Amino acid sequence: MTGKIKTLVLVFALLIAALAAGCDAEKPVTVTPPPSAPAAGKEQTPAGTKEDSIRLTIYFATKDALYLVPEEHIVPKTSQPAHMAIEHLLAGPTSGELAKVMPEGTQLRSLRVKDHIAYVDFNDKLIKNNTGGSASEILIVGAVVDTLTQFPDIQKVRILVEGKAIDTISGHLDLTEPLSRSTDIIKKKQ
Amino acid sequence: MLRRALGFLVLVSLLLIPAIGFAATAASPVKAKPVVKPAVTPKVLAASTAPAKATAAGAGQLTQFRWASHIDAITGASSLRLVFDASGPVSVDSSVIATPTPRLVVTVKGATPGQLKNSVAFDGKIADNVNISADGQNTRITIETPLMVEDGDYKVFTLRQDPANNKPFRVVVDINKPVPPMVFNYTPGLQNKTIVIDPGHGGTDPGAVGPGKTTEKAVNLAISLKVKALLEKAGAKVVLTRTGDSDVYGPNASAVNELKARATVGNARKADLFLSVHANSFGNPTVGGTATYYYQKTPYDAMLARAIQANMAPAGGLQDRGVSAANFYVIKQTIMPAVLVETAFISNPDEEKLLNDPVFQQKIAQGIVQGMENFFAQAARKGGER
Repeated sequence: MTGKIKTLVLVFALLIAALAAGCDAEKPVTVTPPPSAPAAGKEQTPAGTKEDSIRLTIYFATKDALYLVPEEHIVPKTSQPAHMAIEHLLAGPTSGELAKVMPEGTQLRSLRVKDHIAYVDFNDKLIKNNTGGSASEILIVGAVVDTLTQFPDIQKVRILVEGKAIDTISGHLDLTEPLSRSTDIIKKKQ
Repeated sequence: MLRRALGFLVLVSLLLIPAIGFAATAASPVKAKPVVKPAVTPKVLAASTAPAKATAAGAGQLTQFRWASHIDAITGASSLRLVFDASGPVSVDSSVIATPTPRLVVTVKGATPGQLKNSVAFDGKIADNVNISADGQNTRITIETPLMVEDGDYKVFTLRQDPANNKPFRVVVDINKPVPPMVFNYTPGLQNKTIVIDPGHGGTDPGAVGPGKTTEKAVNLAISLKVKALLEKAGAKVVLTRTGDSDVYGPNASAVNELKARATVGNARKADLFLSVHANSFGNPTVGGTATYYYQKTPYDAMLARAIQANMAPAGGLQDRGVSAANFYVIKQTIMPAVLVETAFISNPDEEKLLNDPVFQQKIAQGIVQGMENFFAQAARKGGER
């Protein structure tokens, strides 16, 4: 074999080794699998929905008040799906197996989104008609935040009552900062 | 001669394939191509593969750096997500460096830093600073953290291009807010421990009100006083945030001032433990049971919650609703391990009666105190937990 050929063999062997190493490096060591696509994306134009309607996910409580469960509501297409979702949250579940979480008489005053934070303003019935326990407070906050964060534009939620940002609903949860989606409160599928 | 040599090359590559496995097998068809062309010279071979090699090693660039903080609405757990957009596919590698200062180092292979700023300052809650520098054809991202990030508290991964949603190739770094490794040198037993008890609500704030008009503030105080008596009998020093039907900060104070005043009692007394006593309520009157909440701000909060719930729930005999993390103000703002107990549902008529019953109150109090004693034994034996 000539030196030229030897070089060729060497180059080839090194190349394979380098490529193999390169491929190995593409299997990252400390990398964990990417999370499944955010739930938010699929809410917009789900398959099987007529073009003039949209599917909203509204969160209601299990009857034992331990968890939230998503309920799908198909509604006419609207330019304000987040408003519509909150109106459905206030109206209560269609399933008799689920419990409404929003206090009676609670109304939406306004909803605006700025810098991916939704500022959702309710009337004072949110506090006055709440039963006052931490169970209902957890479910209210969880349902409002999780219902609103289904929309890709909303990353966090700040709750207001009669135009003012509130620090707590009934003296347990700290609501002083905009809050992100909570997944632990959603009941795991069996 | 050349032909023979090329045949030898094929042989070499075939021999190498089993040793380097699937990755090389996938790559080998590309290699084989030059081999079947007899005219290919070594030079050309090297040249033709060079661009491919360059692509693999990194012709790409990072194009954008974004970040977002996440505060779970219910548990209050916070995390920071850093996202780096890349012009092409990249791979990542990461490691935690403890000294001289804690850092999480992420190497993005296949992209240079491009036009990204080389340093971005953060608020220090989860990250102090993110430094971005070129490392050959790669990018080194150094995230300076206030505390060392443990293996389970961060994730680094890549996401593929998603043209349908107008998303480029991405590198994502998720870091959980660390639990400070505070050490409390707990000894077994209740003797000489300082325990602050916070009877929930009070004064102008009745808390939840039962169907029979029982106020939560009244039963919270009754149970708290029974816990106090049992603890003092065992030799502990007990401080109540309120001893009568009163507000702690003052009448009609803002919710945050009232809650802060309660946490302040615990913090000022340098208590060993903080216990906030509540009764629960919900719209459906059949809902009932006993629950304990914690906020894991020290390595002991969850341990304390489990110890208390394990004794309080069976003592009361109601549905065991378990132990959960919750973003509750008083247990978050106190500096020592703390729990908030929901003894029973005042909105449930049967449980409302029990809450008014001194026998039930005593059972719940005994369960709580037994739980604290078990906690001190466990914490003294094995310290905190991550």
